[in-house]
Amino acid sequence: MPRTSRFEGRLLIAPLTAFLIALLGFPLVLDLVYSISRVGFENIRAPELIGFSNYAKAIADPEFWAAAWFSLRFGLIVAVIQMVAGLALAVFLAPLFARRPWLIALLMLPMMVAPALVGLMYRLILHEFVGAVPYYLLEWYGDFPAFLGRDWAFTTLVTVETLQWTPFALLILHSSYAAISPDVREAAALDGARGRRLFLHIDLPLMLPALGLTFFIRFIDSFRVFDNLYTLVGPGAGGSTTSMSIYIYQAFFKVGDIGLAVAASMLLLAASFAVLWAINRLTARKAPL
Amino acid sequence: MRKTVVDALRWLVFALAVIVLNFPVIATLVTSLKSEAEIMTNASLIIETPTLANYAAVFAMADRFDILHFLTNSLVASLIGSALAIALAFPAAYAMARFDVGRSWLLPLAVNLRAVPLIIFAIPIYLMYQQVGLLDTRFGLALILCLVNVPLVLVLFASSIADLPLEIEEAGRVDGAGTLRLLAYVVAPMSLNVVAASSVLAFIYSWNEFLFGLMLTTNKATPVSVGASFFFAASGGGVRWGVAAAVMILATLPPLVLGLLMYRQIGRSMTAGAVKG
Repeated sequence: MPRTSRFEGRLLIAPLTAFLIALLGFPLVLDLVYSISRVGFENIRAPELIGFSNYAKAIADPEFWAAAWFSLRFGLIVAVIQMVAGLALAVFLAPLFARRPWLIALLMLPMMVAPALVGLMYRLILHEFVGAVPYYLLEWYGDFPAFLGRDWAFTTLVTVETLQWTPFALLILHSSYAAISPDVREAAALDGARGRRLFLHIDLPLMLPALGLTFFIRFIDSFRVFDNLYTLVGPGAGGSTTSMSIYIYQAFFKVGDIGLAVAASMLLLAASFAVLWAINRLTARKAPL
Repeated sequence: MRKTVVDALRWLVFALAVIVLNFPVIATLVTSLKSEAEIMTNASLIIETPTLANYAAVFAMADRFDILHFLTNSLVASLIGSALAIALAFPAAYAMARFDVGRSWLLPLAVNLRAVPLIIFAIPIYLMYQQVGLLDTRFGLALILCLVNVPLVLVLFASSIADLPLEIEEAGRVDGAGTLRLLAYVVAPMSLNVVAASSVLAFIYSWNEFLFGLMLTTNKATPVSVGASFFFAASGGGVRWGVAAAVMILATLPPLVLGLLMYRQIGRSMTAGAVKG
């Protein structure tokens, strides 16, 4: 590569690099500094270094662990359900999509709605007097649960998140299923594979990378859930629905404990890197296959 | 015979999936078309006397809560944010594909950024914005929307530019075109479909962003994703559900219509963004 074009290349990535340094790099440095400081809004420019006591405070806070556990459990459960539901829909409806591709647009619509607005919409449709869901449950079963009460809030939120993002799993798995070469299926059919066997021994193994990818993306997105949680229940349901993102938000805005909030942020960042590292290792090991 | 039965079953499952997955929007739309009195007595999905009164009421309360103000904020910030993300990512993606600059660190950084909860950066960004006066400005919000979209746009461009035929660019070089001219007159026109697809997706993501809108704005630059909840408290006492429902429909309509019109491009971008990342 000639020297001039490397120089030109650096010029071309310079704006993006500068932008990322300003809005990502600098905040990260602030995070690091504040997390080991005693800092409040009054001494925001001159934080006083105090070592790791903010981290100790976060780690000693049972609510921090409750939030971490909520996010982890929520992310895993939601990702598994979405992956399975998406797979089932993608495979069962594949013949319809093959003939009329636009049908999938109707199933993609939920992804176009802001999760924050979806949360607000459920406040309406789950409302005990004006909501359609309680109305029909009462009509058909004579009873309905307190959807946002302590016992049901988790299930309700899992359902809300699943219904909005199963379309993503469907989309990815549909394109992966549609990409399986007809030759492969024909060859398998010649060997006598049919129906369930064809699916289990040919389709499913070929879709394995797409399934892993779907699970990973849905897990990451649901793990950091904020919008629909915040607009639907806020800190409600006795704090049983506080995700990591909500915990950090509240530590900062409601409690005003900047040190605790940024220390929790850094711990969350470390956890994200651990997950990313694990996933990179997993995919790297699979690559030669 | 058996085939027709299975086919009918597929249609049934499809119809059910459409209704269940879109239920929040359907039920909200139905509520927004009922009169306030009917909402209180009839919670079913059948409207007895359809009316647009709730929509009129939304616009009539503009002196206290101005829906057009929130919609404009969303529109302006989303347009600037998406355009900026493309303007920054396009040359960078070209440099990565053709000059092999930054591919080893910038691309992985951007890809991994998508997996990091953005709340981590929200607090220092809030404090930074406070110092430089960007709190509650459309431009400040647009910068964040750009940050949110850069990873996806960069991944999409990086893979599409690498697929472009090198010969045309080489011919341009032989004719004496510099890199910038080449980018503007050769590479950009060939990438128009990727630009269109990624800008639609970036616009929708921007429009739907909530966390930063909530933290970084108070009134002047509040996007509609945040402003919609203001209408829940608009009447002081109980929620005026008809008004709230109408607001939610108005706030959802732009991305919903875009999604219907451009589902093919959006689907392709989402899939490519997931698979290439």
